[in-house]
Amino acid sequence: MTDQDSEFSLSFKVLAGAFGTVLLLASAGCATVRPEQRAILADPTMQFDAQSADQAALDHALDNREGSTGGGSVRGGGCGCN
Amino acid sequence: MQLLLTPSSSTVRRSLGALSCVASLLCAARAQAQVASLDLSSALFVEPSKHSGLTVVNPNATLAVSPSNWLTLQGNYEADIVSGASESLKGGRLSNVDIVTSATHFSDTRHALTGGFTITRAATHLRGSYTYGTEHDYRSNAFALSAGTDFLQKNTQIELAYGRGFDQVCTTAYRASDAPSSRLALDNSSGCFTSDKKRAARDISLNNFQVSWTQTWTPEFATQLVLSAALQNGFLGNPYRSVVIAPAGDQALENHPENRGRGALGLRGKYYVRSLQTAFSAGGRLYRDTWDILGQTYEVDAERYLLPWLRVLVRGRYYTQSQALFWSDDYTGGEPAAGPRGQYWSGDRELSPLSNFLVGGRLLATKEGRPDARVLGLFLSLSGSVGFDFLKTNLRDFTLGGRKPDDTVAMLGSLGFRGEF
Repeated sequence: MTDQDSEFSLSFKVLAGAFGTVLLLASAGCATVRPEQRAILADPTMQFDAQSADQAALDHALDNREGSTGGGSVRGGGCGCN
Repeated sequence: MQLLLTPSSSTVRRSLGALSCVASLLCAARAQAQVASLDLSSALFVEPSKHSGLTVVNPNATLAVSPSNWLTLQGNYEADIVSGASESLKGGRLSNVDIVTSATHFSDTRHALTGGFTITRAATHLRGSYTYGTEHDYRSNAFALSAGTDFLQKNTQIELAYGRGFDQVCTTAYRASDAPSSRLALDNSSGCFTSDKKRAARDISLNNFQVSWTQTWTPEFATQLVLSAALQNGFLGNPYRSVVIAPAGDQALENHPENRGRGALGLRGKYYVRSLQTAFSAGGRLYRDTWDILGQTYEVDAERYLLPWLRVLVRGRYYTQSQALFWSDDYTGGEPAAGPRGQYWSGDRELSPLSNFLVGGRLLATKEGRPDARVLGLFLSLSGSVGFDFLKTNLRDFTLGGRKPDDTVAMLGSLGFRGEF
């Protein structure tokens, strides 16, 4: 295994571990957020939004300055109020 | 892309004409529209340098109209107005070539027009769009389709997306059977996409796939997992760039593999801290491709309201990547011809080992109105934003004839307005 493979494997494990922890914590509480509890989640500051003007411009610039792309945030968030 | 010509006024006229058509169609639908929105923004990217340097102005206009409660139509115009100077020849530490002072000036404008729709039925949405992009030496046709749904009391959102691109890039008119070491780089875009026998248009095929999962866990906590993959096939180099490939100074057009598979996995979380009245976000992204580049991104941001109508966001980001398998700062050191650095050669610093960090922020002001009390007598909502980001890159191996480039600091400013009416 090369150094790069080891580095990738370690990073992947860290990311997978973080996600697993999130799942575990959430599952333990059987979390279900009811519509009337969504006031904060519906706020624009809590949206995963790749569509804002400054974020789109930033992503565009970084795509041209780095060798990687993809995996960025997509529109979506905690609203679902309607 | 690089060229020595300025954009023709006919191209601009055609683009503006097409945008007017889209706007007219959308305005026609305005008669029944429940909501329409207009986004106007512009960004300025500046990368100063003593010998090269780059300035990009990126104006953007999007008009969206919802003629019914299940359909939204969008039209977008975007441009990249690029000017500056760049080194068209790449040599490394062993090359005895004056590369830095050979930087040539260029300017170009890319126009991109997009038309799209969103259909929403209950908890499900379907989006589709088509984008045509053109510049003197590059043309693109891109189709995108995505579908998503909410379930589990709208705590879970899943979206699948697919994009297909058919691009063309202008190069010199070499034959496929010509040895890569004999191919020449373009010196300007004159004659591109015409019957000029000294020019050729080469295809690039793009396939993009993405799946995302957004989950709300508590009234203050949400996560998003994004998995994306891309397949690229065709001419994937820079048609203007030559690379020194022999100790005697012989140069050849940059030669990249014709296929590239790319994959990325991103995970982000957002948490609202009530005591600080601030939304914090943290995320990581892993990237790997078949050219053996491993990329890692770590980012954090925080956003809060300073006033009920004014919010501020600050962000930080760190990125690092390894080099492509065939990357070398200098190809004149006797690499075996059958090896990756003998078969391929690149002058692209984005394929070299590098890292960067970014700090920045954004201020956004929003004024909400009501149907009977519109903002400025027209808008249901009006917002304006201003952003600034600073990017510093550390090129670990890349040199221009042994000299470290000085264009490793970049600044990005953005200005945006959005009105709903």
